[in-house]
Amino acid sequence: MERQEFIVEVVLENKPQARDPVGTTIQKDLLAKKGYEMVTKVRSGQYLRIYLSAENEEQAKEIVEKFCNELRIFNPVTQNLTILKVNKQS
Amino acid sequence: MTIKIAVIQFPGSNCDLDTIHVLNDVIGIKADLIWHNHFKEAEFDGVVLPGGFSFGDYLRSGIIAAHSPALDQARIMLNDGRPIIGICNGFQILAEAQFLPGALLRNDSLKFICKWVNIRVENKDTVFTNKMNVGDVLAIPIAHGEGRYFTDNLKELEENNQIVFKYSNEKGEITPKDNPNGSQESIAGVCNLDRNCLGLMPHPERASESILSPKGTEHGKLFFESMVDFIKKRVS
Amino acid sequence: MPKVKLEGDEIDVDLTESEIKWIKETLNRDPSITEIGMFDVMHSEHCSYKSSRPKLKLFEDAEKNYDYVLAGPGEDAGVIDIGNGYALAFRIESHNHPSAIEPYHGAATGIGGIIRDVLCMGARPIALLDPLRFGPLKGNPHSQWLFKYVVKGIADYGNCTGIPTIGGEVEFDESFESNCLVNVACIGLGTIEDFKHAPSRAYNPGDYVILMGGSTGRDGIHGVTFASRTLTEMSEADRPAVQIGDPFTKKMIIEATLEAVKTGYVRGLKDLGGGGLSCALSELTGDGGTGGDIDMSKIFTREPGMNSFEVMLSESQERMAFIVKPEGLEEILKIFRKFEMAHAVIGRTDDSKVLKIHEGNNLVVNLPATALSDSPTIDREEKRPAYLDDLIAQKTPESSMSLEDIIYKLIASENICNKEWIYRQYDHEVGVRSVVKCGEGDAGVLRIIGTNKFIAASVGVNSKHCFLDPYNGAKGGLVEVCGNVIANGAEPRAMVNCCNFGNPEKPESFWFFSKAVEGMNDFCRALRIPIVGGNVSFYNEDEVSNTAIKPTPVIMIVGIIEGKENIITLPFKNAGNDILLIGETKPELGGSEYHSVIYDLEGGKPPKVDEKKIKNIWLFIHELYANKFVKANHDVNKGGFIITIAEMCFNNKLGADLDLSNCFNENLRDDEILFSESVGRFVIETETQNYDKIMELAQKFDIKINKIGILIHEPEINIKGLKMTDFKLDSRKMKNLYDSTIPKLMEI
Repeated sequence: MERQEFIVEVVLENKPQARDPVGTTIQKDLLAKKGYEMVTKVRSGQYLRIYLSAENEEQAKEIVEKFCNELRIFNPVTQNLTILKVNKQS
Repeated sequence: MTIKIAVIQFPGSNCDLDTIHVLNDVIGIKADLIWHNHFKEAEFDGVVLPGGFSFGDYLRSGIIAAHSPALDQARIMLNDGRPIIGICNGFQILAEAQFLPGALLRNDSLKFICKWVNIRVENKDTVFTNKMNVGDVLAIPIAHGEGRYFTDNLKELEENNQIVFKYSNEKGEITPKDNPNGSQESIAGVCNLDRNCLGLMPHPERASESILSPKGTEHGKLFFESMVDFIKKRVS
Repeated sequence: MPKVKLEGDEIDVDLTESEIKWIKETLNRDPSITEIGMFDVMHSEHCSYKSSRPKLKLFEDAEKNYDYVLAGPGEDAGVIDIGNGYALAFRIESHNHPSAIEPYHGAATGIGGIIRDVLCMGARPIALLDPLRFGPLKGNPHSQWLFKYVVKGIADYGNCTGIPTIGGEVEFDESFESNCLVNVACIGLGTIEDFKHAPSRAYNPGDYVILMGGSTGRDGIHGVTFASRTLTEMSEADRPAVQIGDPFTKKMIIEATLEAVKTGYVRGLKDLGGGGLSCALSELTGDGGTGGDIDMSKIFTREPGMNSFEVMLSESQERMAFIVKPEGLEEILKIFRKFEMAHAVIGRTDDSKVLKIHEGNNLVVNLPATALSDSPTIDREEKRPAYLDDLIAQKTPESSMSLEDIIYKLIASENICNKEWIYRQYDHEVGVRSVVKCGEGDAGVLRIIGTNKFIAASVGVNSKHCFLDPYNGAKGGLVEVCGNVIANGAEPRAMVNCCNFGNPEKPESFWFFSKAVEGMNDFCRALRIPIVGGNVSFYNEDEVSNTAIKPTPVIMIVGIIEGKENIITLPFKNAGNDILLIGETKPELGGSEYHSVIYDLEGGKPPKVDEKKIKNIWLFIHELYANKFVKANHDVNKGGFIITIAEMCFNNKLGADLDLSNCFNENLRDDEILFSESVGRFVIETETQNYDKIMELAQKFDIKINKIGILIHEPEINIKGLKMTDFKLDSRKMKNLYDSTIPKLMEI
């Protein structure tokens, strides 16, 4: 089957037990103190945009999940991996 | 017997020469600086993963170095009981390579901290702590931005006595004030089940000469002397 | 900015009509676009020093006049022989304009740049120092933002490359609000052999030219010229001219370069900084008396389709140029491959004395190698500002505050308070050389492993003093910084300076620079301190508000201590010991923290420097050290000696009983006694049993010295003997105030 070009976007965030001092600091010490009290929570994380060729969207997702786990692109002790979206490269 | 220790140099390691100096000139054993791709375990009695910013700390401290062939070689040593110590970035690498449990996260203060701290000995039955006593308070400096220890398996660590050091005050009391980075349970260092692998965030190589220590102590030497003792006993 | 029309294109350059005329006459033709771009950068103020060179000619030739100076101004770094086969390379530079726009990356790339300069001399960088200046932090989010991110930029870059930041200073003043100053200094250690192997000139025709390190992109084209322009409202759009540094690549470059230098095959070494490849190549060949033939297509670029203009002027970071002996080419390339550093052989030197650069078959640059570095200078006018007389005549107002309250306010003031918030973010222990750490001494002290020799280094200057009297202020900076290393037991060996001033085209601004240079020159000649390097940053001026910074000629001194037992530290050691004040206290409150913090006053009579007296004090202290009389030493600066004493009490939680009667000229007021910032004074701790001998020595050297008190266990400072009633200070309260100012201001 023909391979197409895909873009997979993932975000790595700290698990709740591992805490997120960056997110907390942004909300508590920056936003709340500067008049943005309506913001109740901020989570921080790392964003990766991965360009790859695959047969379809499903496969593109699978490949990314596989190497993220195998190569510890995220640390399973402290982080959660979420695939945000998969798009065809235009 | 000549004891040979390898100090692994990753791209970005920066405490490697410091560690070589202490092992060669202060402890008096033969330590070699080995480029990570060239490391072969068979020639060595022990290995040190030194501090620094291996691979620029890119993606996560220690993760890229954890995939280096040097860690495959070190794993052989891990399994046959030879001493392995990871200092600061070295600890981060050993955690990512799963030689040791847990992970190191960014300091709670979100800032890099360089200062002398006190750590209390929790377990003396490891290759690197046999010359210490439980309850001893050691003066050792830290210098890190990602030193907050976290484990999702604290119970197991405690049951297996794998917690080796905790941050404390001079009297050995564990208090939040003396926890410089927010580490869980003030944990500063842990070991593996077989007790031959130790990881800690403080830098014993910076605390092995009285001229460098604010109070003139040399507690760092105990780590390396314990290792030498263990190797000598093992061979005989 | 004149537009120059060439080859059918028009290009914006910062050169004047006469400069363009000079170029056309030198080449005997119109320059190509790339060539004019190269001249634009190389003849900018930042690269060519055209406004400052005429004045800097005053300095004596350090290499000729001091046998231990191996490299002087004009080289990438000053180098001195420190004995035992070792040499120290050091330099200080400014990165003001980029940091004002983008503090984190501006400061970080500043560190990157200064490391390269020292590395070029074949030395391993072993220490960094950072003198910084910002607008006051209180109530000023912009200054807080700049301060926070400059410190973080320096920390992240220095920590990642494993080079300890061992010292620095920070001054807060309104004049720096729109023009912060970020100066960075680096010290490198090498052997005399290493130094010999890495001259920064290409003396030999036939050698290979190799580019190594980061790839070449479109960064910072015109970054250097931007540094020579004053900041205006347009500057936000100038952001692309600030680069992103890469300390990880820099660390690899350090290791690869040092290994390459050790082979002996490297005959020339140059870092690519301001002016990029054009600057590096022209300096290598022009200063070396050779020429070069370079093929641009060999240069590895980061972006497709870059033309010759962009490649020659790119200021992409982390790149080095090596000049390598032909027989050593393979070995050098092998080293670069080991460290996985991108590299390319881009050409060879020759004896043509012409720099030829080809783009494929096209010859795009064909310049006499010296044309770029030999730029014409400009003689600037100078005029003493009329407002200075009134300022200096200002009298201290009456105050209703008690002396205690004044002192509590001073110890908490931004310019005096504890800077621990800064240096805790710097790894100041890596390298296992740091023996006297931040907070323990006036200077950072490093050991040289394998010897009983120590290096002491310090940076600073008092810009408020320089504003009122740049001549004496510059001298005062030298007195202060030499005093810092002397206080730790060292002998000052050499100086570099970083001159930060306003717009040299304005006679009143240029006058400050001119006088400061004269002050440095006179002092250094009198006290025999070689000037081995310097940096000039002009145009630190805000066009919109028409304010220039206070003149800031930052001084850096490197000194040597022979023997561990001769290292002295700052904190008081033992209750019962004597406190002695060395040097004369004069009614010199001009530009003092007392005036600015308590009365918001800039003026008054600033301190003057008497070289003869200073020389005697230094000789006297040397004698005291030889006799092992001194237990602690701290030189007196901001806030006066009362602040000095408080600082010495803090670490070991000691106190003092001071009796100031008959110690000072009876014409002095109490506030003049306590807060005068007369330069050249020291507070030392000595044992009572040695008092008589010390007084004998003081007589011999004709030194003004007084026992002003003794150390006690209680955490208080009791003061009697002034005209006002006796009073006491709570030193625990003082320590709290001293420690909390910056953390409180920087909470977010």
